Amino acid sequence: MSMRLLDHPSTQPPAEGKPLELEEMRSGNEMAAKAAAQINYHVMGYFPITPSTEVAEYLDEMRVRGEHDIVMIPADGEHGAAGICYGASTGGGRVFNATSAQGFLYMLENLPVQSGTRFPMVLNLVTRSVSGPLNIHGDHSDLYYGLNIGWPILLARDPQAVYDMNLIALRVAEHRDVRLPVIVAYDGFFTSHAKRRVKFFRDRQTVQNFVGPVPEPPVTTLDPRHPVTVGPYMNEPDFINNKYQQSLAMYRAGEVFQEVAEEYAALTGRFYGPLDLYRMEDAEVALFILNSAAETARAAVDELRASGVRAGIVSPNLIRPFPLRAVQEALAHVRVVLVAERADSYGGHGPNLTHEVKAALQEIHAPVHVLSRVFGLGGREFYPQDAMNLFGECLGWLQGADVPSFDYYGVEPGDEDAVPFAPGLPPLTREQTTGFISVDRDESTGRLRVKAPNLRALTAKPRRLAPGHGACPGCGIFPGVETFLKGIEGDVVVLYQTGCAMVTTTGYPYTSHRVTYLHNLFQNGAATLSGLVEMFWEKKRRGEIPVGDDITFIMVTGDGGMDIGMGPALGAALRNHRMIILEYDNEGYMNTGAQLSYSTPLGHRTSTSGVGEKGQGKSFPHKDTPQIMAAANIPYVFTGSEAFPQDLIQKAAKAQWYAKHEGLVYGKILIACPLNWQSPDDQGNVIVGAAVRCCFFPLYEVEHGKTTITYDPEAKGERIPVSDWLKRMGKTRHMLRPENRALLEQFEAEVERRWRRLRAKHEHPDL
Amino acid sequence: MNEPSVQNAHSFLEIRMESIGGLGANLAAKILSESGVLRQGWNGWYAASYGSEKKGTPVKAFIRFAPPEVEIRGTYPVDEPDVVAVFHEALLRSPSTLSGLRPGGTLVVNTKRSPDEVRRQVKRADIHIACVDALGIAHREGARLNTAMLGALCHVVPQLDPNAVRSGIEEVFSERYAHLLDANLRTFEGGLAQVREAQGTGGDASGLDKAPQSRVSPVLGYKTQWIGGAIPSAGNSVARDLSASRQGFIPALDLDACIHCAACDQVCPDACFVWESRDNGRGRVFQYLVGIDYQYCKGCQKCVVACPTHALSTIAESDAYVLEHRVAHRLHEREVNIR
Repeated sequence: MSMRLLDHPSTQPPAEGKPLELEEMRSGNEMAAKAAAQINYHVMGYFPITPSTEVAEYLDEMRVRGEHDIVMIPADGEHGAAGICYGASTGGGRVFNATSAQGFLYMLENLPVQSGTRFPMVLNLVTRSVSGPLNIHGDHSDLYYGLNIGWPILLARDPQAVYDMNLIALRVAEHRDVRLPVIVAYDGFFTSHAKRRVKFFRDRQTVQNFVGPVPEPPVTTLDPRHPVTVGPYMNEPDFINNKYQQSLAMYRAGEVFQEVAEEYAALTGRFYGPLDLYRMEDAEVALFILNSAAETARAAVDELRASGVRAGIVSPNLIRPFPLRAVQEALAHVRVVLVAERADSYGGHGPNLTHEVKAALQEIHAPVHVLSRVFGLGGREFYPQDAMNLFGECLGWLQGADVPSFDYYGVEPGDEDAVPFAPGLPPLTREQTTGFISVDRDESTGRLRVKAPNLRALTAKPRRLAPGHGACPGCGIFPGVETFLKGIEGDVVVLYQTGCAMVTTTGYPYTSHRVTYLHNLFQNGAATLSGLVEMFWEKKRRGEIPVGDDITFIMVTGDGGMDIGMGPALGAALRNHRMIILEYDNEGYMNTGAQLSYSTPLGHRTSTSGVGEKGQGKSFPHKDTPQIMAAANIPYVFTGSEAFPQDLIQKAAKAQWYAKHEGLVYGKILIACPLNWQSPDDQGNVIVGAAVRCCFFPLYEVEHGKTTITYDPEAKGERIPVSDWLKRMGKTRHMLRPENRALLEQFEAEVERRWRRLRAKHEHPDL
Repeated sequence: MNEPSVQNAHSFLEIRMESIGGLGANLAAKILSESGVLRQGWNGWYAASYGSEKKGTPVKAFIRFAPPEVEIRGTYPVDEPDVVAVFHEALLRSPSTLSGLRPGGTLVVNTKRSPDEVRRQVKRADIHIACVDALGIAHREGARLNTAMLGALCHVVPQLDPNAVRSGIEEVFSERYAHLLDANLRTFEGGLAQVREAQGTGGDASGLDKAPQSRVSPVLGYKTQWIGGAIPSAGNSVARDLSASRQGFIPALDLDACIHCAACDQVCPDACFVWESRDNGRGRVFQYLVGIDYQYCKGCQKCVVACPTHALSTIAESDAYVLEHRVAHRLHEREVNIR
């Protein structure tokens, strides 16, 4: 190979009359962000979910460098994000978002509203498998939920196409005959995270010229001189006509896509037809397959062609509208086509596109045999050899073998003689976990009295979590949760919402939970657990559970779970189920790569609240979740920290008493995240202790509405300045720079204000 | 048209990095792949394995290079690498680390050991083995070891141009971490200069594992998984070994100085401290700390900070020390004997 060194960034001399393009090594997520920044959308309403989260992160990096003006709104969940995007789009500007999997499903309800009321935007769907069990890797099970929502769906097979399709998508969305929101779908991890050589326009103006100025919207909610009613209550006979308009617009989108793609090809030389065809001219056997796997399969086609087999690949560049004519033309003369799909339509004798291909061929009475295979679910890798094997199915059918029409590819029965799971630990007995702590109520004062031994004696109480979990070195979750559980006696059932504690303790086929554990989703753990609690009590009432049996139900959630799950948590609190919600707050969405949560304090750096010329960390103060929960008038609310273990154990004991006798308990523990706080692994305990001593995170409890500060650093003469806490973390070091003095003072004032108010509540029984 | 008939015939260099989250393999792969594509003019592809992405868990990064005119198609792991770069030598214990390394390929290991010692461990006579004390170099220079690994790779892989990689390091660090640039350049030069190598004999490839690593069949299949994915084996993560999460340091326990206060136990994220109930000699039963189960210790040293008496201290890890001083949890027995 030549050792020639190129200038960087490498620039390709533009062809005659073509705009200048740069060449870089970029991932799909980087290219989606790049396109969005160059388009300079007005608004992005977003919520983190793997593997699409990086799009917002890259845009935030560019935002703080001043490279775009997009207003980036961190939503309370994808349902909120979709609402933000919808609301913004009715105002006639440009709107952008990216999501995946559960996030897409959580916003799903809003998506037909947007297409039905005809407001354009561009949504990047970074495809990932839908739970459960939870899986973060790439397949198309989320995408298939989008087939019926009325959004045109463009596919992008590699990072280059992600960029190109994002520019094309906006033109399609805003076209006067279309006026529909558009999805650009690309493969999670395979395309979103892997880097390839890509080209993009050097000058933002080139992109601006291509997308043009924002077209005058036919309807806008921001023109008081032209009042308009958006989203009326529409019954029959009108509704079906609205839908027919929408149907026409969708088919028109297919034509507009072709027109725009041709214009784009003239600009760049990169052309996207409705289908990407590989060696289909005279093909006898074909694979119909989407996105990155279609690229991989090309190697198999080349190998088959070399041995005389006429093989080819059909891969659509858009699936809504379904490119009917193009599919008919491409496949009319093959003898057998295998539709390989990374999703299933359970019970449908083949996933969705199988039937669309079959219908297309049936319409022209083409004598083509259609095979259908589900493959690659949950990110199962797809190698060229796998494509060979799928072609092998086609060839087998041609040779008269008994080949099933529909099947799964790549499943394994498992070894029935093998020991299936690594041996676990014997179940904890009630005796082992009881007898350490006692709680009784002082009948004269109504206050609970807790007797708990020291930490040494409590080492005899078995942990509810076994070692061997995969959390980072120095993770604060487990000392926090385990210290709390030291105060809980007897049998427990835990529910973890999605987050670090969940993924690091339950990576199949291992579990670190010695007690029964349940996971549902990111946001509705409180609802889920309340259902289980009521099932327990009803079974008990019916005599289906022995009288002596008692279970304490504990939900464990991160601060992210309390953002997206605030509604269900408040619902459970207002219904006052006998359960405990324990929130471990590490001040961000650490499981997805340290995006800001509402609990991230003012000024703190996260991957979506960056530090740079145009940003100095999070722009609004942290959420006071204990006060929100206290306002639900539940029997007991507390805060705690591993740095004050006896305090936390006492509160755990009280929490259990209240959860048994009265109703819902909420507690928040502040825990360290060395990785994303950018602090040494060994300093977690010291840092959360400093957060308590500087009064950022006061230790207190609210018992039947009465606030008691359980550790008062001021009264003890142990209060430290806020900066003594902030200086210990890389994420806050910028706040101590002289130029950020005003920011620091603003933060200190907020800490002080909340502390004074808490003191007042502590001192006055009616507050 | 002359069509290639082997899947990777068009790529000429495939590299797999085997690492632990937090050592910087991902960044190293990014720098290396960009150097190849943007500065050496090749075509290229790069990806990393993604799981729950925690620091301290095994990660892989993959790079595939091809001539500039050859399209790199598809996106799938490098299963038959020309070069395997191992960022943490504990990973050599896992057979999957060298899986698929081509006959006569190159193995680069971060280790103080000699190439011959590594060869005895991996049982591959055919491969070229290069050892570099990347951790030592990085500690001396005050950087992460990933740039030392890049230096070593440039030393042993003839296609890689050190100037291209050097420029890549300059670009990455001057963009975001300018204060770390010099230390990283020195670390790179250290890796480039301080490689100990041994050629393969070209003969015995007996340790060669042909099976692509990501195609190792799971133990459980559709006939044996429990319904709905449930795991009936409570607490079975005790079977896992987390020792590879450590980055060279462990806590050492001096029981003579221990007051059994349990401060260490309380702050430990990984339940490493082993206790037993004992009579104090005067008829009362107390809890006594008996040791550390290093199988689960990730080396965070929180316990050392928490210890009020200096019974715990941080020492450099050695296999011999861990072997001698590990006190294994007796979770099974403990359940029976605790009362």
